[in-house]
Amino acid sequence: MENTRSNIPSISPAAVVVTAVFLLVSVIGINWFATYVPVVLPEQASAESKSVDELFYILMIIGGVVFFLIQGMLLISVIAFRARPGDDSDGPTYQGNPLLEIVWTIIPAMVVVFLAVVSYNIWTQNSEPKASVNLVDGSSISINVTGARYAWTHQYVTERFDDNGGQIVINSGADLHTYIGQNVDLTLQTQDVIHSYWVPAMRVKQDLLPGDPAQGGRPTELRFTPVRVEGRAYPAEYPIVCAELCGDGHGRMRGTVIVYEDESQFLDQFYEPAIYAILNPPADPVLRGEMEVQNYICNSCHILDSLGWTSTTGPSLNGIAERAGERVPGQSAEEYIATSIWNSGAFRVPGYDQQMAAFGPDVVEAGNVMSPEQLYSIVAYLCTQGESSDCDMENASTTIPDAIQTVFGYEVDITFGMESDESAETPDAEAEAADESA
Amino acid sequence: MATIAVPLGAQGEQIEAEAVQRPALSEYLRWSVDHKIIGVQYGVSAFLFFMIGGAMAMLIRLELWTPELDVMVSGAAYNSLFTIHGTIMIFLFIIPMWAAFGNFVVPLQLGAKDMAFPWLNAFAFWLIPPAAVVVLLGYFVSPAEAGWTSYPPLSTLFSGDGQTLWALGAHLLGISSIMGSINFIVTIFNMRPPEMTIWRMPLLCWAVLATSIIAVMATPFLAGALTLLLLDRVAGTTFFDAAGGGDVLLWQNIFWFYSHPAVYIMVLPGMGVLSEVLSVHSRKPVFGYRMVGLSSMGIAFVGFTVWAHHMFTSLQPELRIPFMITTMIIAVPTGIKMFSWLGTIWGGKIRFTSAMLFALGFLSLFVIGGISGVMLAALPFDIHVHDTYFVVSHFHFVLFGGSVFAVYAALYHWFPKVTGRMMNERLGRIHFLFTYFGFLFTFFPMHVVGMLGMPRRVAVYVEAFQPWNQLISFSAFVLGFSSFIVIYNVIKSYYHGPVAGANPWRALTLEWQTTSPPPATNFADDPIPFENPYGYGTEAAAAYLDVVDEAFSGGNGSP
Repeated sequence: MENTRSNIPSISPAAVVVTAVFLLVSVIGINWFATYVPVVLPEQASAESKSVDELFYILMIIGGVVFFLIQGMLLISVIAFRARPGDDSDGPTYQGNPLLEIVWTIIPAMVVVFLAVVSYNIWTQNSEPKASVNLVDGSSISINVTGARYAWTHQYVTERFDDNGGQIVINSGADLHTYIGQNVDLTLQTQDVIHSYWVPAMRVKQDLLPGDPAQGGRPTELRFTPVRVEGRAYPAEYPIVCAELCGDGHGRMRGTVIVYEDESQFLDQFYEPAIYAILNPPADPVLRGEMEVQNYICNSCHILDSLGWTSTTGPSLNGIAERAGERVPGQSAEEYIATSIWNSGAFRVPGYDQQMAAFGPDVVEAGNVMSPEQLYSIVAYLCTQGESSDCDMENASTTIPDAIQTVFGYEVDITFGMESDESAETPDAEAEAADESA
Repeated sequence: MATIAVPLGAQGEQIEAEAVQRPALSEYLRWSVDHKIIGVQYGVSAFLFFMIGGAMAMLIRLELWTPELDVMVSGAAYNSLFTIHGTIMIFLFIIPMWAAFGNFVVPLQLGAKDMAFPWLNAFAFWLIPPAAVVVLLGYFVSPAEAGWTSYPPLSTLFSGDGQTLWALGAHLLGISSIMGSINFIVTIFNMRPPEMTIWRMPLLCWAVLATSIIAVMATPFLAGALTLLLLDRVAGTTFFDAAGGGDVLLWQNIFWFYSHPAVYIMVLPGMGVLSEVLSVHSRKPVFGYRMVGLSSMGIAFVGFTVWAHHMFTSLQPELRIPFMITTMIIAVPTGIKMFSWLGTIWGGKIRFTSAMLFALGFLSLFVIGGISGVMLAALPFDIHVHDTYFVVSHFHFVLFGGSVFAVYAALYHWFPKVTGRMMNERLGRIHFLFTYFGFLFTFFPMHVVGMLGMPRRVAVYVEAFQPWNQLISFSAFVLGFSSFIVIYNVIKSYYHGPVAGANPWRALTLEWQTTSPPPATNFADDPIPFENPYGYGTEAAAAYLDVVDEAFSGGNGSP
């Protein structure tokens, strides 16, 4: 093989000019890019986001060099080495250059090793378990995230106990509440298919994997530490997105990370009021129901304007109180709503698939345990949804158990109101009690 | 070289006497064991599926014009749309399209009369129509909506019967791919002329060989995964059902053990095409021939060790680092190819034919896909952009900017050999401009929306992303329009294109040393390959080509 380097034509002045212009444009382009980089990545709201973005800049610089090198050589080639009109001859017989081939094998290999080392360091630094996680009020609590088609549910297993010694669990629905500097460590578990918990502003993502419920599922972990973002008003909100295809409502499966300025703001605005509401449920069943219904993932499938629910997977709940009495012959409105929540398989609205979870004790699924009192209050709340209502809540504490007995064949006992009558307090007194406990 | 090899032996005049006719169009509609007929059958049907899959892409982009769900009736309908789009483009377009060019060109480049197993070849093709019917029927029954990746339990416990049909169809296509690949391997190893050592073999054959080795080794894993999926769906097994002791990651591991190498099944033949086209149309030998050939094998080998980077957000954390490293290593053989191609055109006499434009377009776009590939390999950054539009952008740069541009380059390059007619170069240039810029403005902005927070596979998105999505959709419609230019060009040129003659590009590989289209047995006598398939610029090469021109200068090649 003959190497005739001298046969390669020299580069024309036109090519030099174009290449110079190209390089100038590239430099301007890189500057422009550097200025507008915040536009291509979300805010840096976590400690992890800073190091991930550093890696991104390194990748962009190396990628930029490769990009402009190759596009530049292409540009020079198509200008300098184009066949002139009428030139039918061949190019030089130049078949290779072992030294050059070694160089362009070794240099990329070294760059790759460098990138691997940098990435490895950032990865170990970000994924290292932190000493004190989920610190609230001096103790580490568990924060559990449940993914179900198509909603996120966040549970705070607090270190507080109610009068009966039961551990208080705050259910904050699709919102994750945290504060600047808290080492968040989430335990993620899915109820159905694979989901992926992604907080773009934190640059973290983790899949939720189905596991055997009998063995406690297959929990995965996600860690990040929120940091202050300059110019942000607190509490600040960042979106949570489902990143793994999970079905019809995948695109709607969203949530919000609410970052408080510090722990005391977190306690004042979220934690303490939530615990207070659990310890002192509203005496009015309608208010209690409004609170309870938001602890379940009903919003992932149903529309309900008064609570801002938008999902269309299941039948709409707008005006449910007007229609409920006509669904099943022999069932009154409140009986129908109650049995449908207890086990939605009891009656299926035409045109919709059987997808809703059951809450009755015979088909209890993880996280779905609903007490008869909760059921009663949710029915009371839904019975207010409509221009008019067919419900008869006067006698509901006996008619609902009767309906459940008829449909499902077991007894439940509703004592709603009887307990709370005794401890009924005026709103002012409740507020005072809260102040004292805080 | 002092001696001038004479390519055709003494039978030049013989060919002159019998002008070769194009096969009647009806030949293409029935069973044939002629590799040239089968190649065209593969090509035309694959392009048909390209148009169907492309129409689905247009619907996808129409849906994403607004942040709301408005075009499709439900999120599920949208899901099944991109599921079938991906399935068609991968299993019914790109892989069969490379089988098309492989079938038509490889035996000719080897100077062979046909493939090693002509009947098996035809059988592999005829598995595609029933498989396509099964897959498309599934779309109309109760469509698969778990994406082309079909992750359980979404694809097992939560999907309709269309998912079963999808798996059956993919199964058939896998069988077809394995049979085709075995045929290529046997053909390439056994049917070369004695003068053509493996180091004198055209680089398209090297690429098809590497591709076939991957397909034979990897596709059985797809078959295994699909079998388990089918058993879970119809026989009540629980391979992927956690409640029965199964594991959802099992599917991801087996599936990607096939499907990552499958990426190279889809792009390596395109790289082979590129070596041919760049060398011929810049009139210069391929730079570093051996390294280009060996890097195909390197990519094939390393490609088997990287699959779990598709699982960076689900894999056990301690396993992620090794797969990051193997994935980055792939950049090295790919880089060798890029630089060798630049070395090939550097100093050449570049002819801006349509084939060359698409090959240059490949170089300019594939480098972006390569850079984003290394970015995705970098684990901490991947965690952020995993399953987002950044990934959608990356693989379209590789599979459209790479494979489809190579398909077009191959089409403009070999159309004269297949039909005996030249394609219209002016239309080809217009086609290139629409495709290149339509592509660039469709897929480049996707990087940005992905990084900003738009996940893939969603029909609804937050309003802030609407301007980006409208730019993407508009460009996608331009890109979609561009394919009608090439269809018009193909039909027009087939009937009215200028007669091509045997060797319109004055190329040295053997497929050009016979009439266009070649006779039924390809060559009148055993052809003698030139000493170097890319030895442009030597007197010996010029003399060799002159002999060929003279031998076929009669009425040959005129259909």
